[in-house]
Amino acid sequence: MPPQEGVYGLLAEFNTPSELVYATQQARAAGFRRMECYTPYPVEEAAEALHFHKTRVPMVCLLGGLMGLTTAFLMETWVSYWAYPINVAGRPLESWPAFIIPAYEWTILFSGLSAAFGMFALNGLPQLYHPVFNAPNFRNGATTDKFFLCLEAHDPMFSRGGTRDFLNRFSPVSVVEVDH
Amino acid sequence: MELAHEHNGMAGAHGVTHEHAGDHAHPKARTLPASIAAPAVVAAWRTRMLLVAAVASVLSLLFLFVHGGRGHMLRAYLLGYVMTFSFAGGSLALLMLQYVSGGKWGLLLRRPLEAMARTLPGVFVLFVPIAIFQKKLYLWANYPTNAAARDAVKHFAISEEQALTTNAKRAMLNNAAFWWHAIVVFLILGLIAHLLRTWSVQRDADPAAGSQSSFDRWQKRFENLSGPGILIYVSLMTILVIEWVMSLDVTWYSSVWGLQFLVGQGYLVLATSILTVILLSKTEPMRTILRTTEQHDLGKFLFAFVMLNIYLNFAEYLIIWSGNVPDEIPWYQNRTLGGWWVIALLDFIFHWVIPFTLLLSRDLKRNKRKMIILTCFMIFARAFDLFWLIEPNFGDAARNLHLGGNIGILAYFTVPVAVVAAWTAYYLTNLMSRPLVNTNDPHLAEILEPEHAH
Repeated sequence: MPPQEGVYGLLAEFNTPSELVYATQQARAAGFRRMECYTPYPVEEAAEALHFHKTRVPMVCLLGGLMGLTTAFLMETWVSYWAYPINVAGRPLESWPAFIIPAYEWTILFSGLSAAFGMFALNGLPQLYHPVFNAPNFRNGATTDKFFLCLEAHDPMFSRGGTRDFLNRFSPVSVVEVDH
Repeated sequence: MELAHEHNGMAGAHGVTHEHAGDHAHPKARTLPASIAAPAVVAAWRTRMLLVAAVASVLSLLFLFVHGGRGHMLRAYLLGYVMTFSFAGGSLALLMLQYVSGGKWGLLLRRPLEAMARTLPGVFVLFVPIAIFQKKLYLWANYPTNAAARDAVKHFAISEEQALTTNAKRAMLNNAAFWWHAIVVFLILGLIAHLLRTWSVQRDADPAAGSQSSFDRWQKRFENLSGPGILIYVSLMTILVIEWVMSLDVTWYSSVWGLQFLVGQGYLVLATSILTVILLSKTEPMRTILRTTEQHDLGKFLFAFVMLNIYLNFAEYLIIWSGNVPDEIPWYQNRTLGGWWVIALLDFIFHWVIPFTLLLSRDLKRNKRKMIILTCFMIFARAFDLFWLIEPNFGDAARNLHLGGNIGILAYFTVPVAVVAAWTAYYLTNLMSRPLVNTNDPHLAEILEPEHAH
């Protein structure tokens, strides 16, 4: 893939999470969807303003769990029925009650792992390069005391001048154009 | 993790909000409504419950004239009675739990729990018919002496094993003990419930209300009673449920029985109190008090009980299945053979599959209407589980679920409804008698904060 060029987005810097959240809510109301908040610590309101809770992680987690459940159950059935049929105190070979506990544990294991790795994958991690780090104020402030809203250029609503004016309405500390 | 995040975010965001940003991002902290008394609609619910109880009682009386109807009425009454005890006793346990654990959920549920725990005297009145008719329900009560039990074996009225276990367990299971165990336990539980209520009234009326010293003093007093109280409750409740339900089959025993009922009570009472606060939240003051965040947390708590409940039930089954000894296995055979597997399977689906899969959803836990439907269903599921526990103990029903010539079994539909509806009317009466919010509690300020997640 050729390297992307041009504008990645406009990055607005705020001093407080409240201003960030307000700007995010307004941006969403105005129709922006391709945007992201960057904060030094988790700000639940920002996540809500981005409608961040609607992700596909729960679905990945559920599918992982179901996969763990079936895998374990089928494996145990295979082991006790075909591979190593052993008579345990006269019980039937397909003794499902005894299979439940490992199947349950594999359900938890698979769903936990798929939630964690699914989250990484859906976040696009591992990612060695991200354009927002091109902004010097982001590098200095994002992990200490500044709150950033980035409206990205591939949003259909985005226009260099119009979006800058839109962001300036929320009196940010600065609005920086971020290149790819 | 999630909770920690929320709190982090909240502390940070709010601290800054008030200093710099003004009010554009957040609504202001809400104020407590002028009246925190129970809304008038509770009285209408009570009337409705009394009507339901009356109709169900009249319908139940029809079973007096049906073949086998009287026996089933008594069994169904036992089911209804165990439900009401689960409400009253379980709420006392949860009330003590929220005093020792603290947290906003406790403040939200405190009044409903207090109102339920306060029904204990009424529940004791409901116990009296069971004690009077104990010979009709319990085999060990019907053969009150060793000689009587041995004699019954000779006439093939009971099995050898039933006679031996009846005689071996007579120290605990006898006609007099059935009465005095219940009386003593109800006195002790009633005393704890009475103290908790009296202090709660005094706490509201404390002249120093709202000060840190008042919070600390009351908190300490409630904790000192509730800590030992939980231990006392669990031990005493175990004795009662062993006598009332487990001893219906005198040959069988399970060491997890008490814990299973304790968790079942938590399941039932939590569902009922969540239902109560959500229904109340259609009107003030609960509309202000119940935020979506706390409703979500309560849903997660309920989910934990759903899991713990199936864990204990399945563990009991697995252990007995693995042990495979003739002392224990017939209890499950009585409940799975001869048509009972349908009930067993439905019990599993009602009791666990449906609440478990639904409560996984974040949106459902935050939705009032769906939570109302689900909690109602969970109350039904608990009663359904009790049906599966109670009915197969009797000779005519064990390994033989049938309706033909056994129309009396339908009493399970009407009698428990009558008993539980009558109890609910009593509960709602108690609920109306106090303000719905405990104002002398530090958590109140937290609950009145604007909701941080919209």
